[in-house]
Amino acid sequence: MHISVKKNLKKDKSALAGLVMLSLLVLIALAAPLFTKDPRAFSNLILSKPDINHILGTNDLGQDIFSRLFYGLRTSIFISIAAGALSTFLSVIIGIFSGLTGGIIDQIIMRIIDAMLVIPSIIILILISAFIKPDLIGLIILISIFHWQGGARIIRGQTLSLKQKGHIYSATTFGAKKAYILARHIIPDLGNIITASFLHNARSAVFLEAGIAFIGISAADTISLGTMMNRALEFYYLPVWAWWLLPAGIMLSLILISLTLLNNLIEKIIDPRLHDA
Amino acid sequence: MKKRWINYIIAFFIIITLNFVIPRLLPGDPLSAIYGDEVLLNLSDEATDYINKLYGLDKPVIARYFIYVFSIFRGNFGYSIYHKKPVLEILISHLPYTLILTGLSMLLASISGAILGIESGWRRGKKIDRFILSSIIFISGFPAFFTGAIFLIIFGIILGILPFQGAVEAYSGFSGFNLAVDFLKHLVLPLFSLVIVYIPTAYLLTRNSMISSLKEPYILFARAKGLTDTRIRYRHAGRNSLIPLTTQMGIHLATGLITGALFIEIVYSYPGMGTLIYNSILNRDYPVLQGSLFMVTLLVLIVNFFMDIFYVKLDPRIEYAY
Repeated sequence: MHISVKKNLKKDKSALAGLVMLSLLVLIALAAPLFTKDPRAFSNLILSKPDINHILGTNDLGQDIFSRLFYGLRTSIFISIAAGALSTFLSVIIGIFSGLTGGIIDQIIMRIIDAMLVIPSIIILILISAFIKPDLIGLIILISIFHWQGGARIIRGQTLSLKQKGHIYSATTFGAKKAYILARHIIPDLGNIITASFLHNARSAVFLEAGIAFIGISAADTISLGTMMNRALEFYYLPVWAWWLLPAGIMLSLILISLTLLNNLIEKIIDPRLHDA
Repeated sequence: MKKRWINYIIAFFIIITLNFVIPRLLPGDPLSAIYGDEVLLNLSDEATDYINKLYGLDKPVIARYFIYVFSIFRGNFGYSIYHKKPVLEILISHLPYTLILTGLSMLLASISGAILGIESGWRRGKKIDRFILSSIIFISGFPAFFTGAIFLIIFGIILGILPFQGAVEAYSGFSGFNLAVDFLKHLVLPLFSLVIVYIPTAYLLTRNSMISSLKEPYILFARAKGLTDTRIRYRHAGRNSLIPLTTQMGIHLATGLITGALFIEIVYSYPGMGTLIYNSILNRDYPVLQGSLFMVTLLVLIVNFFMDIFYVKLDPRIEYAY
């Protein structure tokens, strides 16, 4: 499994494009406060057309769309990193634990995972969010609770097969402790799978956050690309879509596309059958 | 196979339990919501007990849970606060639209995705393959509601050639043939958007398996026999490449398509389950919200379940994998 991601990245132009795109988006998101105004400031100027003051005009509350676009980007990036990391962390912990423990506990965990995998997570998220209207942190926790299962299943499978491998067996004959084997042998070997799971979950998190906001159930003070698109669509009879709806949708798609491109690369590395595809 | 039965039953109970538990985690008790705190303070103990009994609130939580489960099995989802109708009636009036939308787009997306996948896999590495592959990866990055919105803007607003609100023209008084035409016109944009959203899944699955089928010895043999390219492409390689499509589409589609349909419906105000969910959130009509989310989950579980059975029949190798 020790395949250099760097080497593959150089060969694969689309993944490289994904990486460049994602890095740019992260940088822009970090730098957003430097070139934008207060995204929450109201004004009397509602639904104005783009001009020098407001590059993308203003929304129905007189807020600057340009600033909100980049703060929406920040929300998306933040949620993708945080929910991606948290859910992958859960996947790794539960997957390895289940794989190493085995027996009845493993059986129970797998049963729960399989059952949860058949329920579309967005439905549960809509149900819970509609009642409790979570803030950003709450949403990250919620998304993570319903997104570790797929990763955990794969990681458990890999742990099971790694357990049988010669180098791990020889480590135990040298008297290596479980924690040592875990840290030195199992987790590094799972590197690519963990990365794939992170990218996959990060992508789902961006989509879910925007989707839930689009349905109109995110907390009121969260600036989200999904909310922007929903609000803009309500004014479909005005030409506002050109500077309100499209930029938000394109921004969201750019994040999703860059994550997909990177994810494809990692999946290709993991699954050699896709190598020359 | 027996084991997988259990997954669906557990999943079914997870969703019922969440439906039961989540509203009850909120602060406040049902009586003060119905009568207001002031009235409750002035009630005698007997009267409070009576009301508690009337609503079954005197029973322990577990008993209430079982009552809830049994009433769901009997199709009793409660009463809509907003529509003043039983929830089930509302669900049944919206469900057909979602079924039409998802069923048709599943069919169209599978067929067009498979054809694109076969053609593109056959020409692997050529210019046209690269073009199709990269544009499809690009499209797959668009969230369903953005794809829907783009088509709405282009065809509904800029070109203005197709209707984009609802399932039929309101108050038009159409009937018979005109009504059918009107219905189809309204269906075009949501359907087309949903097909575009789901072509990538079908395409990528078919293309990948097409590429591996083309390496099989029987393709070489077919060539040696002197069969035509088209015959090899569709009869020999293509047909075998459809197995992963049928097997995995079930899982991808049931979840992806139905949730995608919810968003597309919201964009076009198409009166299916998605719009119902959206409106019940706007109106705070929680019984309808819970009922419709439950119904959608049930739909996904049923489709997944039948796909599970169906694809073992289609590809017997799968049974040995479990």
